[in-house]
Amino acid sequence: MERSGNGASSSSSGKEIADAASDQGSIDTSESVQEPGSSDGEAKQAMENKEDEELSRGLNEISIAKGQSDGNPNRSSSGESSGTNGAGGEEMARRVSHDGNSWVPGKRHADEDDSSESWRKHKKHFFVLSNAGKPIYSRYGDEHKLAGFSATLQAIMSFVITSGDCLQLVRAGNHQIVFLVKGPLYLVSINSTEEPYQAMKRQLELLHGQLFLILTKAVERCFAKHATFDMKTLLGGTDIVLSSLVHSFNWNFTVFLHAYACLPLPYAARQTAGAALQDIAESGVLFALLMSGYKVINMVGPRKASLHPDDLFLLSNFVSSSDSFRTTESFSPVCLPHYNPNAFVYAYVQYLTESVYLVLISTSLDSFYHLKDCRARAEMILKKSRVLGEMSRSVERGGLRVKDLSLDSQNGFTARKPDVVRENTKTLLGGPAGLWHFLYRSTYLDQYVASEFTPPLHTYAAQKKLFRAYQRIHFSMHDENGGHHKMQYRRDENYVLMYWRTSDFELYAAFDPLAEKSAAIRVSNLVCQWLRNLESEVFLLGATSFNW
Amino acid sequence: MASRKRTLLKAIILGDSGVGKTSLMNQYVNKKFSNQYKATIGADFLTKEVQVEDRLVTMQIWDTAGQERFQSLGVAFYRGADCCVLVYDVNVMKSFDNLDNWREEFLIQASPSDPENFPFIVLGNKVDVDGGNSRVVSEKKAKAWCASKGNIPYFETSAKEDYNVEAAFQCIAKNALRSEPEEDFYLPDTIDITNNNRLPRSSGCEC
Repeated sequence: MERSGNGASSSSSGKEIADAASDQGSIDTSESVQEPGSSDGEAKQAMENKEDEELSRGLNEISIAKGQSDGNPNRSSSGESSGTNGAGGEEMARRVSHDGNSWVPGKRHADEDDSSESWRKHKKHFFVLSNAGKPIYSRYGDEHKLAGFSATLQAIMSFVITSGDCLQLVRAGNHQIVFLVKGPLYLVSINSTEEPYQAMKRQLELLHGQLFLILTKAVERCFAKHATFDMKTLLGGTDIVLSSLVHSFNWNFTVFLHAYACLPLPYAARQTAGAALQDIAESGVLFALLMSGYKVINMVGPRKASLHPDDLFLLSNFVSSSDSFRTTESFSPVCLPHYNPNAFVYAYVQYLTESVYLVLISTSLDSFYHLKDCRARAEMILKKSRVLGEMSRSVERGGLRVKDLSLDSQNGFTARKPDVVRENTKTLLGGPAGLWHFLYRSTYLDQYVASEFTPPLHTYAAQKKLFRAYQRIHFSMHDENGGHHKMQYRRDENYVLMYWRTSDFELYAAFDPLAEKSAAIRVSNLVCQWLRNLESEVFLLGATSFNW
Repeated sequence: MASRKRTLLKAIILGDSGVGKTSLMNQYVNKKFSNQYKATIGADFLTKEVQVEDRLVTMQIWDTAGQERFQSLGVAFYRGADCCVLVYDVNVMKSFDNLDNWREEFLIQASPSDPENFPFIVLGNKVDVDGGNSRVVSEKKAKAWCASKGNIPYFETSAKEDYNVEAAFQCIAKNALRSEPEEDFYLPDTIDITNNNRLPRSSGCEC
């Protein structure tokens, strides 16, 4: 019954994989690009479908109506105009989410249950339940009303587990059901979004991590003591954190990149911020982080311990999703699952500007006043040195734009004048050679930088689509089949997509579907060159005691 | 107390095949009864919200299959049950004799933390059949058995005529609530920074 997950149908579109790039150098356009046929993949796919059909027989209880209409409320038509003004991609996602008719934080459709037609039409469900079948979390609908549905999921999973096996994936028509067992917690996603199995597994793992961040691994001990343990009661008030996390699965590149992004900042300003954090970190603060949304400005920690990108992501989701952190200084127990899943640490959170916040983490429950003093000290340094203003301006200005990519890439990015940028945006669509967007991950830094979404990627729907296209490429290049390739070039009706990996970085780039291959390759090289020049502004370089 | 938290109770219904487990559940949840017998396959799941004193309770009812071939599902199904409903047919002696087995098997497989005081309830179903003339298990006999097993509450029911069904489930919900564990057992650790007890960081990309 074991289903290894590589059932993603990467076979349908003409995928071209080239092993062309050498490890270090630039892409050579003269090397031929291999275009393998896809019949092999299709045959494999057909076989899997057949197996899965057998498996899905008798799953009547959980088969979900194959609704064609898009019940996903995450779409937005209102992002139309927001792409061109100066906000980071993430800030934009937030803004789209705040404009009322698209993403609404917190629990939605709470009145629905599995008997509701509308509930069955949602494209992507997430469930968490205990191994006793008690509901813990459902993205849509009321957990208690879904108790019968939860029990069904548990019965199916436990049936397989009892036989010493583990259910991973069930396909039923255009739906896939992805299972993840984490001790006494069962996590399930039922979706028709055509995301690869590995991507869904990763999302379930992050969901599990977020639950641990809120409650620690101690919940497992509760289940060991009492199998009847009702974990849902401990999650009161966290709907907003979980819904924000699930929303981020549509737009935050950290989700599949395992890396974090930085707020672009002149090197000196970032250094100043680092020094301010270093100063207080020496007085018993475990981690000191200066962040904006999900983006890092600087962070400092103990010499050998470091914060895992996932912990950073889950922590920033926890803080930035809750409006209560914005309005007052807060002190909250959190668990950093990769640092220590068993224990709480204590996070002092204070917004220093509308968008920039400071998180000070201590292991001591009594540290509030000390951390408050630390914050005051850091805030004073940041204000005096005016880097706080610099940060706000960076947030306002947003990230890199494909239009700013030019042959003359010697100028520092943050030295640009914002009004010049705005002017350009009005007149031009896309960057050189029809470059629409790029995403660059530095291997050694565990950091990435992505260009702003600009027209024609200004709608949320277009952004989500590109996110999923990148995600698909990512997993196709990181599974056992794609693992040895360095490059992928694919063209479909939506884009030309480039993937290029060296030992130093991974580059994802999206071009106009009519872009020329040679030009796309040339521009990809240019992007890498550009980012190397801007490295000190868009990344947090290892200048602090932080050792990655 | 205005906003007491909602509670979810997992209830397992056990008993020989054909004693009326599904009918009882259907009567209780859907207020419906059908004379047609349809064997349960594996298990059925239903949900019902009830008010017990000042608390709003969601009953997650696991209606299991009585046939022996499904008994291997036990462990998976019984885990974390808050209460257990044992059902027999007052017109079938064997179904009463088997209550012992059902109870034992449940306690072994569910291994509740306090088996002595685990909330069971026994229902003698189908008291309506033939005006009671075909009855072979007397109320006295049933009650004696219940008393010997730690005073299990006993109800005579008829799923067909909706006799005592509501009362029986109300009773089990109440007893299950009473035996809820104390809630202060969720106590995460705090890190002692002098011990290097953090986990080693796993390397960046593990996808």
